[in-house]
Amino acid sequence: MIQVENVTKLYGGHVAVDGLSFSVEKGEILGFLGPNGAGKTTTMNIITGYLSATEGTVKVAGYDVLEEPLEVKKRIGYMPETPPLYGQMTVREYLDFVSDIKQVGRAEKKRGMEKIMDLVKIGDVQNRLIKNLSKGYRQRVGLAQALVGNPPVLVLDEPTIGLDPKQIIEIRTLIKELGKEHTIILSSHILPEVSAVCERVLIINKGKIVASDTPENLSRRLTGKSRVLVRIAGTEEEVRQVLAGVPGVKSVEAQGSVEPETFDFLVEAENEEDIRRPLFSAVSRAQLPVLLLKPVDLTLEEIFLQIITEEKEVS
Amino acid sequence: MTAIWKRELRAYFLSPLGYIFMGFFLLLSGFFFAVYNLLPANPNYTAVLANITTVFLFLIPILTMRLLSEEAAEKTDQLLLTSPLRVVDIVLGKYLAAVTVFLLTLLITCLYPVILTFFGSIAVWEIIGSYIGIFLLGSAFIAVGLFVSSLTENQLIAAVVTFSALLLMWVIDWITRGVPTDRVSGIVFAGVIVVALAFLVYYSTRHLYLSIAVVPVGAAVMAAVHAVKPTLYEGLIVRFLKWFSLLQRYEEFHMGILSLSPVVYYLTFSLAFLFLTARVIEKKRWS
Repeated sequence: MIQVENVTKLYGGHVAVDGLSFSVEKGEILGFLGPNGAGKTTTMNIITGYLSATEGTVKVAGYDVLEEPLEVKKRIGYMPETPPLYGQMTVREYLDFVSDIKQVGRAEKKRGMEKIMDLVKIGDVQNRLIKNLSKGYRQRVGLAQALVGNPPVLVLDEPTIGLDPKQIIEIRTLIKELGKEHTIILSSHILPEVSAVCERVLIINKGKIVASDTPENLSRRLTGKSRVLVRIAGTEEEVRQVLAGVPGVKSVEAQGSVEPETFDFLVEAENEEDIRRPLFSAVSRAQLPVLLLKPVDLTLEEIFLQIITEEKEVS
Repeated sequence: MTAIWKRELRAYFLSPLGYIFMGFFLLLSGFFFAVYNLLPANPNYTAVLANITTVFLFLIPILTMRLLSEEAAEKTDQLLLTSPLRVVDIVLGKYLAAVTVFLLTLLITCLYPVILTFFGSIAVWEIIGSYIGIFLLGSAFIAVGLFVSSLTENQLIAAVVTFSALLLMWVIDWITRGVPTDRVSGIVFAGVIVVALAFLVYYSTRHLYLSIAVVPVGAAVMAAVHAVKPTLYEGLIVRFLKWFSLLQRYEEFHMGILSLSPVVYYLTFSLAFLFLTARVIEKKRWS
């Protein structure tokens, strides 16, 4: 459905996107993951035709973005990072206008608008001015705008940014639902979000793809059992000795004391082993009460570090 | 295009801008009408219209300042440029919306000559001619304002620059009186234009050798012109500046003469600026 080939974007001398190539199949939900400034937004802007690539081609449903921009734009619903809203209009007027510029027929327009407002749950604010809406509602109106005209491809740039946890879950469920009928590209800088929604994840850093995999494989590779945070009551030296004596432990790192008379340690295992069981039995044999035992997910920065070092080792 | 036009027209009256424009325009034209026609009982309405054109200088920037700069500042241009609209549709829709507000205001002022007919006869054709002229002049100014607003995200800057540009076009006739008209100055001026052209080519293509090549080619053309008809360089600057003298073309309408050339001039002038506006928007994608 979408083919991105060797796309490069230069801003003056700065390389924002550097020879990016990937493709998205029909009905797939693809996640872009990367830190701020990685080139996610620029890539999305290029796919939707808002920016032009310095080099490379983008094809959507077989149409080249540069050569037949209108055919491409008809097929894409785009929700930019800042929802493009006109504050002076009511939600209904706004969606009416968007339907007009997306050339939705008069007959479908009303029905389509009702359906979309139901879907993203903005029916109750449809007659309010957009400038008076809360951030969460604005975000949803932004999503509604992308859905107008029922385009086969949706490009969503950080769709859950600025929402509260309940709204985030709602929007994620909605995106998953939409993924049944649409091809979706979605960007985020939060790993769990991408894992929850996407079937495939591209990790982008400094304009380049550093990893491309299913979220399950990525999580297996990158998170989970290998590091454990423990909080144990006792003296620091005693606890450290017991932890270091557990078979399979590579390193023990003191994290200071949060609760009185307890100490926190970050325990790292060798060979991605699950060390929680041996760790527990060793500590209980030493009669030290365990107050906290929790696997530590890697932060995005650590994932990047890990992936980038992995790549260097391979090459 | 109609969708953009409709939204833009509504936006004028959802914000105070439309009312400010109409209100001040009508206030000032009403003031002129009272002072020139009503109080001295004078039927010469075209004099009022000639004065109204000065009001454009201040009011056209208000009408055009937000057209494209606001879209860029609010990031709503992302919606327009990623929906299946051609850039031409966006530019034309916005231009026609501003022209519509202007035309509506102008139509209201048509009441003034109607009032005058109750007290005597008026020069109907001259007034109609003046109105057509004023409409074309105002539309050309709106095209300039739209172009300026495509260059910046700041409405205030758009307004000030538009005002300066219009003022420059306004006083261009005075400037022409002061510039030298001899042959040498004409040649120097042509040289400056050739160099400017070279820079323009470099700016738009980033092709160094092509841009440098423009200079000898331009010089050759200049030399050829000089060999064939050297008198062409006399008064060149004046003739060049007069291309931008919008007011001069208005004179004919003012006298009730409706000839084709000023009409074509105004339409071309507007189209040129609309074209430039579309180019600026297109170019943003490549920056």
